[in-house]
Amino acid sequence: MHEMALMGDILQLIEKDARSRNMEKIEKVELIVGDLSNALPDALEMAFTIFRARGLALLSEQSELVIKKEAARAKCTVCGFEYNPDARLSICPKCSLPSGILTAGETFKVQSYEGS
Amino acid sequence: MKIDLDVEVLADNNTAASYNRDLFEKNKTLVINLMSSPGAGKTTLLEKTVARLGKEYRIGVIEGDLATEKDADRIRAFGAQAVQINTNGGCHLDARMVAKVLPEFDFDDIDLLFIENVGNLVCPSGYDLGQNHKVAILSVPEGNDKIPKYPVMFRRTEMVVLNKIDLLPYLDFDVKMAMEDLLGINPQSRLIQVSSRTGEGLDEWLSWIKQAYKQNVER
Repeated sequence: MHEMALMGDILQLIEKDARSRNMEKIEKVELIVGDLSNALPDALEMAFTIFRARGLALLSEQSELVIKKEAARAKCTVCGFEYNPDARLSICPKCSLPSGILTAGETFKVQSYEGS
Repeated sequence: MKIDLDVEVLADNNTAASYNRDLFEKNKTLVINLMSSPGAGKTTLLEKTVARLGKEYRIGVIEGDLATEKDADRIRAFGAQAVQINTNGGCHLDARMVAKVLPEFDFDDIDLLFIENVGNLVCPSGYDLGQNHKVAILSVPEGNDKIPKYPVMFRRTEMVVLNKIDLLPYLDFDVKMAMEDLLGINPQSRLIQVSSRTGEGLDEWLSWIKQAYKQNVER
C-alpha cells in the first residue's frame, strides 16, 4: 500500500550515498524484505519500475532490483524450540506456552547497491 | 562498484522519531499514537477522552487524515489544541510529518499528546513517530478476525481498545477468540473493552492513561 513511498525512501538513501562517491549511475539495488515487515515485494518491484521509467535517482533502463526475502522464524524463550511461526506466532508448538519471540522476518533493509 | 550499505529502509524516519522523542521527553509530555482502520472510532474516543480528562490535563491532538480539517475541528470543539496533518493521499503518518507540526504546539502547556494516525491497519504500524505508547483500536462491527489478519499491527501495539461494545449483543464478534488471538500474536498486549457512545469501559482506558502519564513524569 505504501510501497511507492518506501521505494522513494530507499532510492533517496542510495542516491545520497552514490552522489557522495561521485557516481552517476545506479545499476543494481539489493534489499532484504522480511515476511512480517509489512512491505510487499511485488509492490516494491512495481514502484521500482515506475521510478526507473522516470529515470529518477540515477536509475536507467538497465538498473535492476533484487529482493531477498527473509522468512519468519521464532524461538521459544522457555523450552528453546525453534519454529516457523503461523498466525499465533507467539505460541510455541512444542510446549504450547505464549513464549515465542521472532528471531527473523521483520527485517527491511537496503543491503547493497552497485553503481558507477 | 558495489557498496554494502546495510541500512534500515526507515533509517531517516527513525532519526526524525528520535528527534520527536527527545522533545517529548524534555517536556515530560506523554504521547500516544492511536491506530485503527477507518471508522473504528478513534476520533470519538478522543472526544470523550478530552471531555473527561480536559480539566485535569492539558491536551494536544495531532489529527492525521488524507484530506479535510474535520477531525481537528471536532477535537477543538472539546477544548484541546488540535493540529491537522493532511497526507494528501498518503496512507500513514511518518515521523517527519509529525516533526513538522510540533512547533505549532506550545509544549509548556501540554501534558498529553494524542496522535490520531491515518485510518489503516497496515502502513502506520511500521512508522515510529517518537511516541511513548502505541495503541490499536478495533471496533465490534469489524469482526474479531482483524487481529490474526493484521498481525504486524497487533504485534507492534501494546494495547487493543475494543470499541463499540454496546453492539456486542447484535453482532457476532467473539471477544474470547479475539483475546486468544491477541495472546497468540502478542502476549505483552492487552485488550480493554469500551463503548465511546455509552461510556462503558471508559474508566479503564482513562485510568491507564493517567497511570502512563504518572510513570512518564516520574521516570
